[in-house]
Amino acid sequence: MNKQKLYKIRMRETLVSYAFLAPALLFFVIFVVYPMISGVYTSLFNYTIRKFDFIGVDNYIRLVSDPIFKKSLINTLVIVLGSVPIVVLFALFVGLTIYEKHSAIRSFFRCVFYLPVVTGTVAVTVVWKWIYDPINGILNYLLQSAHIINEPIMWLGDKRFAIWAIIIILLTTSVGQPIILYVAALGNIDQSLTEAAEVDGANRWQVFKNIKWPGLMPTTLYIVVITTINSFQCFSLIQLLTSGGPNYSTSTIMYLVYEKAFKLGQFGYANSMGVILAVIIGIISFLQFKFLGNDVEY
Amino acid sequence: MKKRALSLMLVMAMTAGMLAGCGTKDAADTKEDAGKEETAKEEVKEDDTDLEAEITWWNYPNFAAVDETAGKYEQGIIEAFNEKYPNIKVNIEMIDFASGPEKVTNAIQGGTVCDVLFDAPGRIIQYGKDGVLADLDDMFTEEFVADVDNEKLINACYVGDNAWMYPISSAPFLMAFNKTQLEEFGLLDMINLEGDRSWTVDQYQALIKALKEKGANGAVMFCVSQGGDQGTRAMLANLSGTPITNDDLTEYTINSDAAVEALQMIVDNVKDGYMLNGSAQDGTASIEEFVSGRSSNAILFSPGVYNNNKAKMEFEPVFLPFPTPEGVDPALEYLIDGFCVFDNGDENKIAASKLLIDFICNDAEWGPKNVVQTGTFPVRQSFGNLYEGDENMTYLASLTKYYSTYYNTIDGFAEMRTYWFPMLQAVLSGEDVKTALDGFVEQANQSIANAQ
Repeated sequence: MNKQKLYKIRMRETLVSYAFLAPALLFFVIFVVYPMISGVYTSLFNYTIRKFDFIGVDNYIRLVSDPIFKKSLINTLVIVLGSVPIVVLFALFVGLTIYEKHSAIRSFFRCVFYLPVVTGTVAVTVVWKWIYDPINGILNYLLQSAHIINEPIMWLGDKRFAIWAIIIILLTTSVGQPIILYVAALGNIDQSLTEAAEVDGANRWQVFKNIKWPGLMPTTLYIVVITTINSFQCFSLIQLLTSGGPNYSTSTIMYLVYEKAFKLGQFGYANSMGVILAVIIGIISFLQFKFLGNDVEY
Repeated sequence: MKKRALSLMLVMAMTAGMLAGCGTKDAADTKEDAGKEETAKEEVKEDDTDLEAEITWWNYPNFAAVDETAGKYEQGIIEAFNEKYPNIKVNIEMIDFASGPEKVTNAIQGGTVCDVLFDAPGRIIQYGKDGVLADLDDMFTEEFVADVDNEKLINACYVGDNAWMYPISSAPFLMAFNKTQLEEFGLLDMINLEGDRSWTVDQYQALIKALKEKGANGAVMFCVSQGGDQGTRAMLANLSGTPITNDDLTEYTINSDAAVEALQMIVDNVKDGYMLNGSAQDGTASIEEFVSGRSSNAILFSPGVYNNNKAKMEFEPVFLPFPTPEGVDPALEYLIDGFCVFDNGDENKIAASKLLIDFICNDAEWGPKNVVQTGTFPVRQSFGNLYEGDENMTYLASLTKYYSTYYNTIDGFAEMRTYWFPMLQAVLSGEDVKTALDGFVEQANQSIANAQ
């Protein structure tokens, strides 16, 4: 085959590949790349319904001195740090536990933990609102009945409890998918390796540490990254349950972006917050890939 | 495309800015201006019935639903309108108070906003200031302004020389008590049921303490979301005898010593159990507590709210103005329902939208009917008493004399609202009242500057 013919075949293959990619790429460019570029660009403007004036990095300077933004950033980090480790550890524990059970039991637990994921957020928040209701809620009723508390607690209205109340709901809606993924990943680990280790006298911890955990690393990396991003983007629970209160103690950057953009029409300022959030998520994801990705073997 | 849209908006905003002044419109001036245009308007009206257009009307649930079906009543209006204007197609879309404002903002940005919106001045005036509305100056005829005969109400529809909202009805926000319960407890004589029912802070304090002693729950001092926040502001303003803003709408004034004292009293009432801490409850939840009979009183109640909840209330409520210091008149906040027209660049649609608004508000049959459906009072005096024989409504209709300065049209009103409930949440969770109130006023005043 001469060089020219080979080049033609390769060219055709390349074109066909791009043709297959084109539809997805088109959507990606329109709905991801363009909004990202537009977001960065408009964050440099005093962009409201009335105005579109270039102000350079003034929005970013304003962010630095905005106490509500700082509070929201801290809350966002608390939510991420409070939820991601628990989600990973709990999902791993449940995955390991139910994997060894009968398939019917395994399916039952997968269903139980996945139910909050497929249930609409609004329905989930309505139920939790009832649970947390300070006057008529079941949580206060149970705790008072058990003499654990004497006075009803304002779970969503007391700044000492509100963010933790939100994190608990977030956990229930976040563990479902990791559990499914861990159970699936455990099924892909070569049984002969664990059996050989057990024959050689390895205990359960040694089997987990040296065989299962390395095999679960790619799944763990995915779960950590996705759960981190989802936690950073926690919005609907806040909007539906507390509106960022009490006194901004549950306000997150995503909620603040929503408030500034859609309640106040300060699109440029909101976009600058979005850019900062994207940068933070990008850095953390990079670090996660760097430190957790080293141990990943595909 | 987006750049062009932005440029267009900018030009519109600049044009609106040039037209808009800083002062408020005097009702007498309006009468004169409108009178000159009256003849021209009547000439145009001759051909209106042939006007062809398709318009979209977005509606908050201001009209009570018929057969529990959202939009059914509005559909009836459109059918009646089409009998008169058969060539104007009206598409109705119901939006809710929770997500509706964001939907409108998004649609304005995306160039997909409706033609007609039924809302209130707080938001409509902001749309007007943003330059996205068609002015309704020609609808404020001499006859209309004279019929309304209320300068505060007319002013609430204007920015400078342009009218952005056409009002149909209004109603005061008050507080309400469970009258049946007061009778059962033998406490009815602790409220004033004579005349304008005004009462003092001391009388109010005595009553809520008496209710607590009888085992009744107090009102929920709600402070979540933003809905109904005007009720909590009105309560503080009345308890302290301090207005929220100055009359010129250039400054917030609700951090006087009296206001600090009154807010401290509210905080103490919550601590002592005379009121319920609403740091986790919104206005809707607080009303629900009252209409279900679990709370003995509500700090925010209106004829419209009563109208929507009457069927499920198993007791008789009694409306009362907020208590005030001795010798101070109540200063009531009030709702104004009205319409605006978005300038979507089509004169035909704007004309058709105005015809729809005119029909809804002024038609001899549907005008009064529509007002009744909102459970509020007509802005037109000529509609008379639409609630003949209803003691509550007759009383409420008499309260217009206590309407306070309508500050919802102040610059930065939307931003100010985002600071109000966090301030209340802060004081209810123990923050120093004076510091919190001063902080709020500082932020609120900054919001005026931000919106310039």
